[in-house]
Amino acid sequence: MSTVEEIVQGKGKFVDDVVLPGMQHMAVVRSNYSRGRIVKLKGGYTFKDFPAYMASVGEGATEGEKGLIEPVLADKYVNYIGEPMAVVLGKDRYDAEDRTEDVEVEIEPLPPMMDPEKSLDSPPVYPFMKSNVYRKVVLGSDFRTDNFEIEIEGHFNNRRVATDPIETRGIVASYEKDLLTVWISTQSVHSIREGLAEILNMPQEKIRVIQADTGGAFGLKGGVYPEYALAAFLAIKTGKPVKWIENRHEHLMASRPGRGTSAYMKLYANKNGKILGMKGKVIVDSGAYSGGSGEFAARFVGMQMTGPYKIDNAYVEAYPVYTNKVVQGPYRGAGRPEAHFFIERMIDMLADKLKMDPVEVRLMNTVDKAFKSPLGMDVPPAKTFLEDAINKLSYRKLLKDKPGFAFFVLVPAFQPGETARVKIENGEVKVWLGGDAHGQRHDLFVKTLVNEGLGIDRNLVHLQLGDTAMLKDGIGSWGSRSAMVGGMAVHEACKKIKQAFTAKHGIYSSTALLQEGADEYVHWRGEGSMDSLGCNLVTCEVNSRGQVKVKECSAYYDVGRALTPEVVRGQIAGGMAQGIGQTLYEEIMYSEDGQLLTASIADAGVPIANQLPEYKVFLADTRSNLAIGAKGVGESPTIGVPIALSRAIENVTGVKIYETPIKQELLISTAKH
Amino acid sequence: MYPQSFEYISPRTLKDAVKFLKEHEGESKILAGGQSLIPILKMRFASFGYLVDIGGLQDLSYIKREGDSIRIGALTRTGEIEESQEIRMNNILLAEAASQVADSQVRNMGTVGGNCVHGDPGNDLPSVMLALDATYKLTGPDGSREVPASSFYKDSYSTDLGDAEILTEITVPVIEHGSGGAYVKHKRRSGDFSIAAVAAYVTINEMGNCGTARIAVTSIGPINFRSKEAEDFLIGKKLSDQNISKAVDLMVDSAEPAADPYGSVSFKKEILRLVGIEAISKATDRALGV
Amino acid sequence: MSTNKIRVTVNNKVYEKEIDSRTLLVDFIREKLGLTGTHVGCDTTNCGACTVLLDGKPVKSCTVLAVQANGKTITTIEGLSHGKELHPLQKAFIDKNGLQCGYCTAGMIMMAHWIIRKNPEATRDEIREAISGNICRCTGYDSIVDSIQEASREMIPEEEEDLVTRQRGR
Repeated sequence: MSTVEEIVQGKGKFVDDVVLPGMQHMAVVRSNYSRGRIVKLKGGYTFKDFPAYMASVGEGATEGEKGLIEPVLADKYVNYIGEPMAVVLGKDRYDAEDRTEDVEVEIEPLPPMMDPEKSLDSPPVYPFMKSNVYRKVVLGSDFRTDNFEIEIEGHFNNRRVATDPIETRGIVASYEKDLLTVWISTQSVHSIREGLAEILNMPQEKIRVIQADTGGAFGLKGGVYPEYALAAFLAIKTGKPVKWIENRHEHLMASRPGRGTSAYMKLYANKNGKILGMKGKVIVDSGAYSGGSGEFAARFVGMQMTGPYKIDNAYVEAYPVYTNKVVQGPYRGAGRPEAHFFIERMIDMLADKLKMDPVEVRLMNTVDKAFKSPLGMDVPPAKTFLEDAINKLSYRKLLKDKPGFAFFVLVPAFQPGETARVKIENGEVKVWLGGDAHGQRHDLFVKTLVNEGLGIDRNLVHLQLGDTAMLKDGIGSWGSRSAMVGGMAVHEACKKIKQAFTAKHGIYSSTALLQEGADEYVHWRGEGSMDSLGCNLVTCEVNSRGQVKVKECSAYYDVGRALTPEVVRGQIAGGMAQGIGQTLYEEIMYSEDGQLLTASIADAGVPIANQLPEYKVFLADTRSNLAIGAKGVGESPTIGVPIALSRAIENVTGVKIYETPIKQELLISTAKH
Repeated sequence: MYPQSFEYISPRTLKDAVKFLKEHEGESKILAGGQSLIPILKMRFASFGYLVDIGGLQDLSYIKREGDSIRIGALTRTGEIEESQEIRMNNILLAEAASQVADSQVRNMGTVGGNCVHGDPGNDLPSVMLALDATYKLTGPDGSREVPASSFYKDSYSTDLGDAEILTEITVPVIEHGSGGAYVKHKRRSGDFSIAAVAAYVTINEMGNCGTARIAVTSIGPINFRSKEAEDFLIGKKLSDQNISKAVDLMVDSAEPAADPYGSVSFKKEILRLVGIEAISKATDRALGV
Repeated sequence: MSTNKIRVTVNNKVYEKEIDSRTLLVDFIREKLGLTGTHVGCDTTNCGACTVLLDGKPVKSCTVLAVQANGKTITTIEGLSHGKELHPLQKAFIDKNGLQCGYCTAGMIMMAHWIIRKNPEATRDEIREAISGNICRCTGYDSIVDSIQEASREMIPEEEEDLVTRQRGR
């Protein structure tokens, strides 16, 4: 992949930089209604040319409900604004856009279901369904509540947020001699291959997916989209390469957004602050079709809703519901921030009710022994960590500034493990990882691990872009896992290479190995849980106009061994910015009648430099029990910051915070300095 | 996100530009910096047969002090206005407003004329021109005419500019001793336009009271406008916090912001109130030489 | 389809090309000249990934028509180092972790180039204000501010000014 030296000189190779002879440009004609019946659709390629349905692959994939799977192109009805209806080809993208205007579209609008909570209680939009719930999830066991001293309830909402990487989606597809080759901005070439194979009804061996330099992803680019299948279909049909680059407006309409989850919570405790039970009802704004991340999120959010606390009784019902919006997808955190927002806000509410310090309530409800929560989450020993965090983050010293505090469990996507291939040839080492880097500088930990494992100079080690032709299988770079599991795969591959060399020659020599060469593929899977802990502390000021200025924004995380400390810090800083963005500015807004109100990246609320603070990052001095010592990190800041910032705003203004983004309107009339 | 086709015309002189506009009246549009026009073309909200690029007419870019006035060529970039020592020293209201338009990159291309001529109530400089009682020079096939900014704006995107006319110069006063101006803008989220902004210009007379007051508003209602209610209240009174507050209340009462994704009517009114107080107070401090 | 001939100096090289009138400057740079270091990140003039220097001043090339650049001098990320070695800004962004995915970086660096020329002693807050027309989704900006301050210690503003504004090719 392009090195940072190449990128800063403008020599990166992102997907829009891929140019092939004869390449055409694809443009998509999209529904401008959130729901409607297609009365007329003439021109371009439509469903009748390509009657295919979507596949659910990648992060948060679930097997969708039959009859509710998204068609690649709308068939008879449109169910979300931005839904692809037809595609056209042009010689360049200007021409392609001109040709979209030649497609005749007539839609009879139907009343759209825009509010997920309303959807839960409404009759089914699809007449063949019993309700608007895709698949109800129940976790834990119900319990009696008449014997608790304290009962508090809350209703919280994290509204939908666009992932908004600065590089939007994009693909170039080419079909030659029976082989479909695809260049794509992605987190997982193998998920793309799997998805395209399923949609196009082609064997995976006939599809090669090559990762282009990827300009950010945050969950957006781990799965397959209709546009990818369409570009491939058109490349096959026309015999000429097809490029599709998403524009930002399309991104806001038709790229899968994250969050979009609300909850009704009840917490039961005794007068001293010990929490004895939790009940929750979770509603996930899943979008117009099944197979998105909504069904996964319902379970995943539910599972984490006791947080790092020892709560013996817990019961959650979780409902992924139908709404006339694009299907929900994973966005950095992907259920973790939502679950923790719900429980942490309840902790703060309990502290307020009992007139206790919220940090004391947290201390009281954590333990120093690992346990599995009634909802199925593994919680590591927590109390000492929390005490350390309180000290490191200077909580008590900062009390005068009314800090908000967050404490959470990071559940990385550890289970599937990861693959790696280490190939030594021509005196250098090439490495392929099953998860495709998109800014996390995997190249650096790869150099470190190969250097440690094989004694080879870092400068001879080069991480390659994802390529299904070069790495036979892989999972994906998401879920706070890549350094941890990808690193272990590299570590194991090096170990195997070293062992094989030593067995063959009796003694190990890195110089000789470089000359001789090697090629090792490993799919590493771990046992048990790699859940880890994190805390955030935030202070802020709110002015008379209701504008929030974040002052202190600090983190204390257990990342185990930080393979590349400055990269870890950078990841945390970026994640904190996204946490602040979600809390204060970001939302994809629709009107009640289904118009998309968020029309630009500025409207979407992505923060700019003068809206963000300086960050403080403290890393706990620990190692995991993995050979490389690492734990997960990527999503921690998006979990902790919205909680801590919301509480800080509550402290400073007296306004109770139940929802993100926090509208300035809420803070303006009661702002305090 | 790409413009529809158009023909691009690059006249060598102002006269040629005007002539072309006349000959193709209704199908041509002036291109200056393009920072308002190009986004509209890209969204395909509008299209024109001809784009007449006057950006190369360098003799329409100048800042000239003439006694107690400053004449500004309409093609002067907003960034140049922001940086100009002449304007920072002698009309801080204009410099301050210019520095808050969009971002630096946009200010390096966008022109003061472009910002004033579209009739977009979200543009900043029209409010400044109203507060300064500026004059616009409009040049057409029959010569030039001077139009006060106060009568230029009719409705959203509808101004006094004829189809074959070009705004070529803006004349603003030097802000003298005993006068002060300020521009306070509350930006939407992280975007460039505002929820509300106020351009305030006040003078203090020999009795220490408000002699002149011109208070103009951005982003509220269909056009940039002056608040007569606030102005009439302040004239002849001391520019105390209390009076400023009362004047702004009158302004807010008669303002009609539209509810939209950026805020409800009551929120926008509250923002307008806070921004108005800040602008008039700041202008007052400057008038007092504080 | 309406076309125009333009003559531009890009990274000290003169180009004469015939292009469609409606071609945006960013597409001219990327597709006609093959300089793909400059990127497109939005469609509403917000993100700044397309920032290049036009006669030495940063502009958003997605909101400039290529025809408007006729007779002018453009500097893109590829032209910053004027040769082999990395420019101090490029070095600083690497050293200080000012990029993660790298997609916004070209625009950010071109903007930073102007900021440092104008105000080599800019404070962190002033830098943040000055880059508020450039959006980064990965870094949270503090390492970008670090990078710009680091580069400003190495750059000589007058030399840099000269390099990006000379050879106007008129």
